[in-house]
Amino acid sequence: MVTVTRGYRAFQAVNAVALAGVVLVTLFPFVNIVARSFSGEQEIRAGQVTFWPKGFNLTTYERVMSDALFWTNYRNTVVYTVVATAIALVLTTCYAYVLSKKNLKGRGLLVGIAVFTMFFNGGLIPNYVLVSTLGLRNSLWAIVLPNAISVFNLLVMKAFFESLPSELEEAAAVDGSGTYGTLLRIVLPLSKAVLATMLLFYAVSFWNSWFAGFLYMDRQELFPVTVYLRNLIAGATAGTDNTASSEAALQIAASIQAVTIVLTMLPIMLVYPFIQRFFVSGVTLGAVKG
Amino acid sequence: MIPLTRRHLLTAAGAAAVAGLAGCGDDEPDAKEGLDGKRAGAMDAFKVGDQFKATEPLTFSIMMLSNQTYPYKADWPFLTELTRRTNVSLEATAVPGSDYNQKRSVMVSAGNAPFIIPKTYHPDEEAFIAGGAILPVSDYVDLMPNYSDKLARWNLQPNVDGFKAENGKYYLLPGLHENVWQDYSLAVRTDIMDKLGLTAPQTWDDLANVLREMKKAYPDRYPLSDRWSTPPQPGGNNLINLVGTAYGARAGWGWTPAVWDAAAGRFVYSGAMDQYRQMLEYLNKLVTEGLVDPESFTQTDDNARQKFAAGKSFVMSCNAQTLVNEARKDIAKIPGATVAKMILPTGPMGATLPGYNRLENGIMISKKAAESKNFVAMMQFIDWVWYSDAGQLFSKWGIEGQTYSGSIEDGTFKLDPGVKWAGLNPDAPKGLQVDYGYSNGVFSYGGSTKLLSTQFSDEEKAFQAEMNKRKAQPVPPPAPLSAEEREQVTLWDSALKDHVFQNTLRFILGQRPLGEWDAYVKELEGKNSTKYLDIVNKAYERYKKAHG
Repeated sequence: MVTVTRGYRAFQAVNAVALAGVVLVTLFPFVNIVARSFSGEQEIRAGQVTFWPKGFNLTTYERVMSDALFWTNYRNTVVYTVVATAIALVLTTCYAYVLSKKNLKGRGLLVGIAVFTMFFNGGLIPNYVLVSTLGLRNSLWAIVLPNAISVFNLLVMKAFFESLPSELEEAAAVDGSGTYGTLLRIVLPLSKAVLATMLLFYAVSFWNSWFAGFLYMDRQELFPVTVYLRNLIAGATAGTDNTASSEAALQIAASIQAVTIVLTMLPIMLVYPFIQRFFVSGVTLGAVKG
Repeated sequence: MIPLTRRHLLTAAGAAAVAGLAGCGDDEPDAKEGLDGKRAGAMDAFKVGDQFKATEPLTFSIMMLSNQTYPYKADWPFLTELTRRTNVSLEATAVPGSDYNQKRSVMVSAGNAPFIIPKTYHPDEEAFIAGGAILPVSDYVDLMPNYSDKLARWNLQPNVDGFKAENGKYYLLPGLHENVWQDYSLAVRTDIMDKLGLTAPQTWDDLANVLREMKKAYPDRYPLSDRWSTPPQPGGNNLINLVGTAYGARAGWGWTPAVWDAAAGRFVYSGAMDQYRQMLEYLNKLVTEGLVDPESFTQTDDNARQKFAAGKSFVMSCNAQTLVNEARKDIAKIPGATVAKMILPTGPMGATLPGYNRLENGIMISKKAAESKNFVAMMQFIDWVWYSDAGQLFSKWGIEGQTYSGSIEDGTFKLDPGVKWAGLNPDAPKGLQVDYGYSNGVFSYGGSTKLLSTQFSDEEKAFQAEMNKRKAQPVPPPAPLSAEEREQVTLWDSALKDHVFQNTLRFILGQRPLGEWDAYVKELEGKNSTKYLDIVNKAYERYKKAHG
């Protein structure tokens, strides 16, 4: 057994205390939000809610969840996120894999085209006109296609592929594997970490996005839930043109933001533990080459 | 490998810029084209009092603001009944209220907007005029008998003239109020007034005396601690606005840079007017005497409410809604406490109210609509729904015998007990807005004083009756700026406004003595207030010459 010096033990203790402090500090806002979401209006306004709900109240949850439109939009978000993430993963992988091949002709141009879009874009109205003219409005594709490849994610993935030893692929080629065979059977199984990372990046960004849905959808039953909740928050906090006045309205105004945050965060939080182990190595992978 | 050089990027960027510019053009149309061939479905002799009904089933596209508290439903009884009565169906683009303006802006700019674009607040429509995507509706008001009738009867033409662009046309059909609707005033603790034997103040000077008495009885408190201090205005925005109106100045929420001076026949700079100084002097006096909480101008609404709730202050800004929903609930814990909306005190301007807010938000019409063969029918439809007495009553309260009973003319109007709206019938099973779609802010606003009064509680009716005795102050003449002028004055305006707002606060709080008023006016001149006025006055003269 390795003997532990006193200094090291002291270090560990300090470490534990410091880290616990960090955990507390990061966790507190979240716990506070959850507590607020279950608290009464008076208590929230008076600033009495910290870790635990005070004046337990479910009015806001009931109001939000009893609306059929909320569930329709929630379902939309799930569908949009799943489809968009799947497509984004496939397209980004294809593009990144190609770009990782140093002997590819025109590679610089292909990288340039991608990077160009990081710094320049057509702007809001031209994008809207483009999507409209392509007939994508009021369809899933208006959300999926324009955001299918995130250049940042593309570059991360490209760096990852570049860091894979090329001998592996050469060996596969010697054994008679074609390009797609090599990608599917050799490269991708070795890339679970980066795939998980991309999955999370894309899923979170599609889950949270509201603007594309807001812009390209003209019917409420097509909106993602983020648009629904955003509208609810605006209505509850603005108070203008708001003739529906009652205890319930005041309660909703007080806790709607907290409820919204909890409701939208929940699914992504549930996914997180399952891919977290890939996630940590994935983000740093490709960061250092050599 | 082809390296991506800087030249490639520049070429691409240049091409994009050219393409972008080519898209913009100033294609202001020639006045009104003939309406022949655009009368399909229209009524032949549509006039005031007629029920509009299209002669064939029609569909018009409309931008539908989906309100947070009553999200849009395509199957609202309101819309079904509307179709039954008018033979018109609406094809709605539902837009969440939170970001309505942004989507409107994108759709109009992209040439993709529906025919009817409601819920537009002046001067938002000005941004779209140059693009040529919206219709100068003033050319077509003769198709709208109800609108024209109300405009004339309620003497609103001068107000609408203020919406005109340089070419003498306006692009927004505003909602029309018969009278000024003064909703805002001060909430006062009536139990304290009674306890101290104080009578309701008639003038702002009376109010100062009331506050003094309160201070005498409770020397450790500020009798008035106010709310509504959200920027960009200086703070205490309702209070400053109300006092300003009484002195003939435009301040706080009512701020506008150029104010019409009828005696001199020209516009003067608002923040440099003597009336503005008088308003500051009055408020400064209240603050230095300890009658008004200096934090009134910076604190959050919640803070102000907490002070009021704790009995640390007795007077606070309110409107009909916040009086009932907030002030009254907040003081519920103080035994015997009562609160009421104070009849708005008057000042040197006498028993008047600002006349400029008799127009509501309104409707823009897509240029495309004017090419439709159903254009005339559409204008008649809009005229009936938004401007006829029957249409306004219908969109506000629904169907007689179903959602309401009685008549608004003889004051027997009553909301059906099974229907709840705002504070009325709070326990009823169905909501007028949520379940029926009536009183929807997209369709229902403005109208006659009688129609408006149906929505008030008895308490509020008494307040409004008093307010309706007051005369509306005349509105300024039109002085529409050209696009370049607007750009120029906007540059000056922000610097000027910042300076005025900062100093408004400093003067009120006594951080700057009012003896320095002249120096302050000089400072404004140094920030181009004179040049600003020159442009506005030139625009006024130019418009007067061209359009009389």
